[in-house]
Amino acid sequence: MALANQQQVEALAASITGCADAIHGRLMQAIRDREIDRYTAQTIFQDEAVLRQQANSLYIDAANCVVKDLAESQQGIMELIDGAREKIGLIKEIATFIDLIADLLVLAAAAYAAKPLPILAALQEVQADVKALKAES
Amino acid sequence: MKASRPLAVLLATLVLAGCANLQEIRDYADASAEFSAYTELTTRFRDTYQREQPYLSGEAERLARDNDQKRQAAYADLLVIHQRVTLYMQTLARLAGDDAFDLSPQIDSLSAGIKAHPELGIDAQQVDAAANLSQVISRWLTASYQQRAVRSMITEGDPHLQKMLVAMLTLIRYYRQTSENEKNTVLGFFAVEIPFADPSQDRLLLALARAQLQTRSAEYNELQRQYDAAEQGIRSMAEGHRQLLANLDRLSSAEARAMISKFAQDIKTIRENLGTVRS
Repeated sequence: MALANQQQVEALAASITGCADAIHGRLMQAIRDREIDRYTAQTIFQDEAVLRQQANSLYIDAANCVVKDLAESQQGIMELIDGAREKIGLIKEIATFIDLIADLLVLAAAAYAAKPLPILAALQEVQADVKALKAES
Repeated sequence: MKASRPLAVLLATLVLAGCANLQEIRDYADASAEFSAYTELTTRFRDTYQREQPYLSGEAERLARDNDQKRQAAYADLLVIHQRVTLYMQTLARLAGDDAFDLSPQIDSLSAGIKAHPELGIDAQQVDAAANLSQVISRWLTASYQQRAVRSMITEGDPHLQKMLVAMLTLIRYYRQTSENEKNTVLGFFAVEIPFADPSQDRLLLALARAQLQTRSAEYNELQRQYDAAEQGIRSMAEGHRQLLANLDRLSSAEARAMISKFAQDIKTIRENLGTVRS
């Protein structure tokens, strides 16, 4: 792009739009004063429309500049979001840890009572907790 | 009995300190997330060609088609900006959420586990007392952890967020100016053609053209309100976040909470107004 930055692109787009507006004002005046015929009016209006399309093309370039300038901030925001998720995740690990302790207690109690079925059930719970802890870390 | 009163006071204090008072931040972040998810104006920008195409011919039509391709290509990147801001706000809301750092279900299940096994020799009443105390302490610990997490997110996030919001405002300005050119192309077409139509021969055509002109004029007037509302909402989001940052150390003060609530309410109201505007 020949223009140095987004502001210059925007400024150029605005002045091209301004030209189109001026042409339109003069065209309407000419139509009211019956200075021109239909064909001439249509031709001038098409020229005006061409200018508006050129201005709009520059607005797209400017929008793309905005997106490009934002790369760093977008990256920063993503890192922050990931960091926050980790923090929430960390607390979840503690939660899983407490679950594990609870199940360990159940296991200990079952072992104490020497009941095979509850021991097996409790062992499975503990296994599941350990798996969950590993998955999170 | 007497000895238990200081304990009760201590517990009550801990409970109060344990409330992180982040409700207002959550409201603000929720409202902001919903607001930044409003992508209608961006989509309208992408679809400019469809609306202006019937009124164009020759060189202007060819340029318009090129512009259409450029806009279609840019659209995904423009949406990403909405998505990033929305994701940031959603994460902030979650971080400030009641349940983000809540350990009470685990403590409950722990105490239930102990109580279910009298053979451990721990008295049920003791278990309850211990569990209640752990609830309070864990709440207090996690609340301060949560406050630190929310604070650091706001502090580190502010410069990036402000930049993204400025970018959103700039983009809305481009959308508005693009739409202004579209409006002048569409309405200008009628303004140029209608005076040349012969009322005695083209009555039907003239009536249709005038009706179309009215509809499109109303549409563009309505659209101005949408651009205004979008800008206003983004400014409220930016100012709200600046205030969060400025009041980080007294987020629990009644004054700061009322102010943050007001921003949340403003953003919500603007978003609701946008929702009722017909596109």
